[in-house]
Amino acid sequence: MRTWEGWRPADVGWPAPKRRPNMDVIGTFVAVGSDKEWEEYMIQRRSFLGLMGAAGAAAGTGLLTTQAALAQDKKFTIALVPGLTTDAFYITMHRGAQAAADALGQDLLFQGASEWNVTLQVPVLDAVIARNPAAILIAPTDKVQLVEPLKKAHAAGITVVCVDTFIGTGVFQTGSGDADFPISYVASDNVLGGVMAARALAKSIGEKGKVYVSNVKPGISTTDQREEGFKKEMANHPNIEILETQFNDDDANKAAAQVQAVIGRVPDLAGVFGANLFSASGTANGVKQAGKQGVVKIAAFDAPQSVVQELKDGTFEIVIAQHPAEIGYFGFVSAFAHLTGNPVPTLIGTGFTVMTKDNIDDPDIAKYLYTG
Amino acid sequence: MGPGVLSRIADLRAWIFLVLLLIFFETWANVAYGVTFIGNTYNLQSIGIFATAPLLLALGQTFVIISAGIDLSVGFTMGLAAVVSAHVANLGMSHFGLNPLLAMLLGLLSGIAVAFIPGLVNGWLIARLRVPPFIGTLGMYGIARGAAFLIAGGMTVPVSNEWFAYIGNGRIYGVPILVIIAVVVIFLMHYLLSQTKFGQHTYALGASRVAAVRSGINVGGLTMRIYLLAAVCAGLAGALYSARFTAGAAQAGEPLLLSSIAAVVIGGASLFGGSGTIAGTVAGALVIAVIEYGLVFINVEPFWQFIAVGVVIIISVLVDQSQRKLLGGRQDD
Amino acid sequence: MTEPLLDVRGVSKYFGGVHALEDVSMDLHAGEVVALAGDNGAGKSTLIKAISGVHKVDRGDILLEGKPVTYESPQQARDHGIETIYQDLALADNLSIGANIFLGREPKRKAFGFLPVLDRGLMADAAKETMRRLDFHVDRLSAPVSAFSGGQRQAVAIGRAIYWNAKILIMDEPTAALGVPEQRKVIALIKSLKEQGKGVIFISHNLGDIFAVADRIVVLRRGIKAGERKPDETTGDEIVRLMVGG
Repeated sequence: MRTWEGWRPADVGWPAPKRRPNMDVIGTFVAVGSDKEWEEYMIQRRSFLGLMGAAGAAAGTGLLTTQAALAQDKKFTIALVPGLTTDAFYITMHRGAQAAADALGQDLLFQGASEWNVTLQVPVLDAVIARNPAAILIAPTDKVQLVEPLKKAHAAGITVVCVDTFIGTGVFQTGSGDADFPISYVASDNVLGGVMAARALAKSIGEKGKVYVSNVKPGISTTDQREEGFKKEMANHPNIEILETQFNDDDANKAAAQVQAVIGRVPDLAGVFGANLFSASGTANGVKQAGKQGVVKIAAFDAPQSVVQELKDGTFEIVIAQHPAEIGYFGFVSAFAHLTGNPVPTLIGTGFTVMTKDNIDDPDIAKYLYTG
Repeated sequence: MGPGVLSRIADLRAWIFLVLLLIFFETWANVAYGVTFIGNTYNLQSIGIFATAPLLLALGQTFVIISAGIDLSVGFTMGLAAVVSAHVANLGMSHFGLNPLLAMLLGLLSGIAVAFIPGLVNGWLIARLRVPPFIGTLGMYGIARGAAFLIAGGMTVPVSNEWFAYIGNGRIYGVPILVIIAVVVIFLMHYLLSQTKFGQHTYALGASRVAAVRSGINVGGLTMRIYLLAAVCAGLAGALYSARFTAGAAQAGEPLLLSSIAAVVIGGASLFGGSGTIAGTVAGALVIAVIEYGLVFINVEPFWQFIAVGVVIIISVLVDQSQRKLLGGRQDD
Repeated sequence: MTEPLLDVRGVSKYFGGVHALEDVSMDLHAGEVVALAGDNGAGKSTLIKAISGVHKVDRGDILLEGKPVTYESPQQARDHGIETIYQDLALADNLSIGANIFLGREPKRKAFGFLPVLDRGLMADAAKETMRRLDFHVDRLSAPVSAFSGGQRQAVAIGRAIYWNAKILIMDEPTAALGVPEQRKVIALIKSLKEQGKGVIFISHNLGDIFAVADRIVVLRRGIKAGERKPDETTGDEIVRLMVGG
């Protein structure tokens, strides 16, 4: 298994999902839709990526490019409001956004709640709006409940970009609905992540056997999409049976008991997809307690430093690492691009890296581990 | 004789629930899959391990609830202890050159020791400053959580120590070490609650603070010790979490708080204080673990788990209330 | 004349500018019941709190068996044999009679020769014996006191005091919350305490109870002792006049 960069659109079953006509996976360069959409999209993409390059150049040489120079007399403050501040994923995203801010010579304001909770995030958002930044990058903690609070920002002339999670449908700037005002949604394509986990897991269990998804709880856009992608891809593997999904409330103890119970009923369980950190680590412990380590293969989502050891000792077969720093970086750059009059794609998908025990020592892979 | 027998049954309700649940799952497993549920030691081991962490929190919480208090901070006290024990075990090996066994012991003890801080602060707020327990421990919930996340740096703290992993995952004659530790703590807590002045005074405090004061009990000191005990139980749960998952996580105990309170209530304690037993709490924790494990085992749609636990809590509270009415109706005999 | 058990001499107590008690004196002998009468705010509570160690007096002396005493806490007063019995909130309702009698002073025994455990047998025996002394016969010794009637609970509170050898019992409205048959039982209880040589100070609004059981009646009005009478030398009307003035 190589890194995600080795994948081609055909490998991941792309461009099947029509629901995202102008999806742009930075790096693999995947786009779908009609020829006309393609044309428009290419134009957008070129200018956008040009700006990305500009940001890189600015970082390298300390010179501002033409586009950035437009903003020279006015320094923008762009805020990042994460889903929670205490998670390695968002901490890494913050680093990415800071890198973009430094490269573009702009200011970043990082403010969030310590817990994934609407009632804690909204007051933080209100306080950020009160400081009147030029743009807000936000990982909304709820698709619906954050719409009204963000409308206030939009009404105050603040550019809104969704990162990691979204409001409404996640399809923006369509002119329909009351939640399409954010200019862009920048995130890992979680459906794609689920697809990649499924492919890797299918391969490691020899394309046959029973598997299930250990998930947090229904209603979280990202983990729902990972499950969706996983199940969709597994449908292409006729000898693999998918069992009932188990929800663990982000409790490793419960995830462990669930896999033990499933093994009790289904002794020939072949693999589990842990859709987030605690789903995966709890499942791994349950498998160990059941004496099935190495027999029941686990694909884990998210990559804190500890997965290095867990891949090496066989706890995890596969780890799908998101690129949160890229989300922060591209989120910041797209906000800046919009503020400086450049067109921005309404949907920007960042990539993944598939980590295994064979590639984890490669610095190009290890750089995608999340750091605090 | 009628009310006496009924009240005895009400006291044993958690155990009766447990037996009924086991019969239910055994029957279903036999009919649907042709396998045994309770006859399989694998299932019993799995349920034992599953119940350990919420049970440890619930044991400490039993004293708090009997004293008419509540401790909302135990979940993050557990997380704090998990993170600290993982860190200290690592430091013990990397900085002090301890062998893995000593580093493991130091790590576990540090996890328990750090829990003294939230325990003493809770006790001080509630006993000396007379802050209502709900508010005082809610404040500590935030503080312990912040401290845990700060120490962890937003990450889980992995531990690489074979002794740590052994405590968390090893078995002695097929019995998980975690379960052995839990059983020892159960007996200790049962002794404390039923056979010592401390336990007796905890009941008195829950029934009437004024009566406890008038009886010459040092209510402030008693309150301090009750919250300290709850925190130490959470500290042990956190240290064992790190051992089991070979990583400390700040949010380790957060999802366990509500099920630990539910275990105490199902076990027969009243949230108004004054009643509850260790045996009841043990049964309450097992009821929750058996429901959640059993429903997965027989492959029932996951959402039924929430409904089942909710129904058991409500039945339990209803039994408690009718028992009170029963006693209340016997004023003159 | 024997030395009084309790001698209160010229006691005053001020709360800020309020004179709660002004130069009040009274005494109590063993085997005697003194009723404390007065309207609300007359100073009855302040006086018994001064005697039982809750308040320190600003002027005057309290002598116990001839020796002047000052108590830092109610616990110290209790250790010297002065027990206060409140009409409610005196018991832990969820504990047995024995556990209530011993609350705060639980006896221990060694299980298996080494493990200290509560001696429930001793507590139950003491409960049975104490209740028998008070002429209340109970058999359900492991039942919580919430299972008993108001009069029985009052008896438990009194039983606790006499078990620990209280010499002086201060009873605050002991009959207020009870039905008529229960009130009679408590009055009988007070008489039996008197026969056992205890000194009883007894606060009541009920003139019937006062005349039924008291040896002397001390009347307070606005912090001042308005008078002291023997029941057979006075009438209810006179006591009421002393209470309300005029």
